[in-house]
Amino acid sequence: MVMKEDKLKQAIADVFGVDFNTVNDNTSVDTVQEWDSLKHLNLVLALESEFDISLTEEQTVQILSYPLIKAVLEEHDIQFN
Amino acid sequence: MSVQNLYSAIKRLNAELTYSAYLALANVLDATNPEESELPPLRVAVLSNFTVDSILPVIKGEIALAGFFPVIYLGGYDSIMLDVLNPVGSLYAFQPDFVIVSQWLETLSPTLVTRFLSLSPEQAATEVERLLILLDETVAALRNSLKTPILLNNFPLPSYTTLGILDSQIDSGQTQTILNLNQAILHRVHQWRDVYLIDYLSLLARIGSVRGVDERYWHIGKSPIGRHALVPFGQEYGKFFRALRGKTRKCLVLDCDNTLWGGIIGEDGLGGIKLGATYPGSCYQAFQREILNLHDRGVILALCSKNNEVDVLDVFRNHPETVLREEHLAHWQINWDDKITNLNRIAENLNIGLDSLVFVDDSQFECDLVREQLPQIAVIQLTSDPSAFIPQLSGSAYFDSLTFSAEDRQRNQMYRDESQRKQQLHETFDSLETYLSKLEMVVEIGYPDDVTIPRVSQLTQKTNQFNLTTRHYSEGDIRAFLENPDADVFYLRLRDRISDLGLIGVAIVRYSDLVAELDSFLLSCRAIGRGIEEALLAHILNSAKSRGCTRMLGKYLPTKKNGLVADFYQHHGFNCVSETPQGLDWELSLDQDIFPTPSWVNVRIVK
Repeated sequence: MVMKEDKLKQAIADVFGVDFNTVNDNTSVDTVQEWDSLKHLNLVLALESEFDISLTEEQTVQILSYPLIKAVLEEHDIQFN
Repeated sequence: MSVQNLYSAIKRLNAELTYSAYLALANVLDATNPEESELPPLRVAVLSNFTVDSILPVIKGEIALAGFFPVIYLGGYDSIMLDVLNPVGSLYAFQPDFVIVSQWLETLSPTLVTRFLSLSPEQAATEVERLLILLDETVAALRNSLKTPILLNNFPLPSYTTLGILDSQIDSGQTQTILNLNQAILHRVHQWRDVYLIDYLSLLARIGSVRGVDERYWHIGKSPIGRHALVPFGQEYGKFFRALRGKTRKCLVLDCDNTLWGGIIGEDGLGGIKLGATYPGSCYQAFQREILNLHDRGVILALCSKNNEVDVLDVFRNHPETVLREEHLAHWQINWDDKITNLNRIAENLNIGLDSLVFVDDSQFECDLVREQLPQIAVIQLTSDPSAFIPQLSGSAYFDSLTFSAEDRQRNQMYRDESQRKQQLHETFDSLETYLSKLEMVVEIGYPDDVTIPRVSQLTQKTNQFNLTTRHYSEGDIRAFLENPDADVFYLRLRDRISDLGLIGVAIVRYSDLVAELDSFLLSCRAIGRGIEEALLAHILNSAKSRGCTRMLGKYLPTKKNGLVADFYQHHGFNCVSETPQGLDWELSLDQDIFPTPSWVNVRIVK
């Protein structure tokens, strides 16, 4: 499945309430002020809803930055252009 | 965050209804100043024994979609009793408009769910009894301090029961025990005032408990609702906010071609359209049947179709397989004008607001146009698969209401009669007064009783145009007024030569010393323009006078919809005494003669 990166960026922007254009490879738990444990659960829910996948327990704690999120989604056969 | 962002987030949510769109709107709401939003606040307290944080964005979004600004109080995790039992705690200081008590059986009684076999039948019954006592105490404590509606839930069944296939064979199994508990909760909800049941059991059955409950989230954060269920769970609460806050829609406006039948009547002709017992005509027939069910529930039906009128009416009059017939339709606009113009005409003709309409069409173009030009109208854009029409319509729940009265059953008949009256008005009578007197109107005024209280409460919640103060009251509120010696509630019932319009007017008066004040005064829109409000007002003034009151006060609280009654007080001789930011205060001295009841109305007072 090939996805537009825009869809992922929009999902992240929705979860943290940040501007779509600010989501990039530097986006991570360290750079996004709003990223707390509650928002993290929302991130899991949003990714699972948006891409219709189920993250493993390990993956739910791995997704701490934009590159890591992409890497985890690729493990679910979601490729980005 | 600007208000513009808020409105664009609401618009996006309306078009998508996805969890992401709810999250995005919730973020915008959190960053918006409620006062700048121009939306009236709706304060909701959420008390829960499991983690509901993931549903909150959906609840907030639903409140915003209903036209309110959500203000949420979230109680501590699994500390419902602490919250409700503390009269000076933060829950009561919050002053909620609604209280949600959301409970998950596994937290409430782990044994019942995970170790059912460790209980003897007697112990299981005792455990059920314990849960019910807990619920009784919760509601009683809330009721000590709050009169607001309380939303409780029942309990879903476990996906797999402890006894497997045997469980369904015995009457003391886990399934039956939980169903008995649910039955007992329902029984209590019937006894309590303004307590409503959110049916988690049916909700999860619809989604599927294997899909809807996510064990991972449960173990990670005691948050059992799975990703497929988050949106439906939040939306279920949304239905109650809408129903209890007068946001129930009234009229279903239907396209015809590829909506009520397959094909195009103007091209395919009466014999060529798909409508009947075989696929795909059967899908359209089933859809028509569902629409007829809405009609029977009191939803007004109208058509908005680009066609020749005679072609379309031919289907409803002469097609052997049509379920909907001309007599079910309150009004139609079948012509080649644009649908925006026609929707405005429909609202005007039926005397209802655009925000009472739900528009159903299969065309992306028409739906986009309506969403853009008339955002007050709810739009259901049908998919290309006609077998999916019914879930689309029923799932939207735009017409869901918590009452079902005799008036609802008759509503379409009344609107058709009204059209008939309007025609007669144009054709036969030379003056309004002659027309009105020929209607032979009989007005009955009295105090509401157990049978009529639900309708009275419903009217306060649903009437937006002829309503001086637009105050919404629950059945409990109405009872409280009736029990209060310093208040009166009057209903008004109307029938005429053509039909019985039922209970269509309400007035609430409060008394203190020698002053009476009009708390509420409203008429259903189908009775506007007949001068019957004068009969009601005259009765109120006379009874205030006979109580010894010397003055009658009244407020006009303007809304977007009640401009119709802006002149009401002036017109009846009241003097404007002050102007507040909320509206105008009016006063009438009762020393003078009360104006007479209009000559064309016969008034009957029921003591």
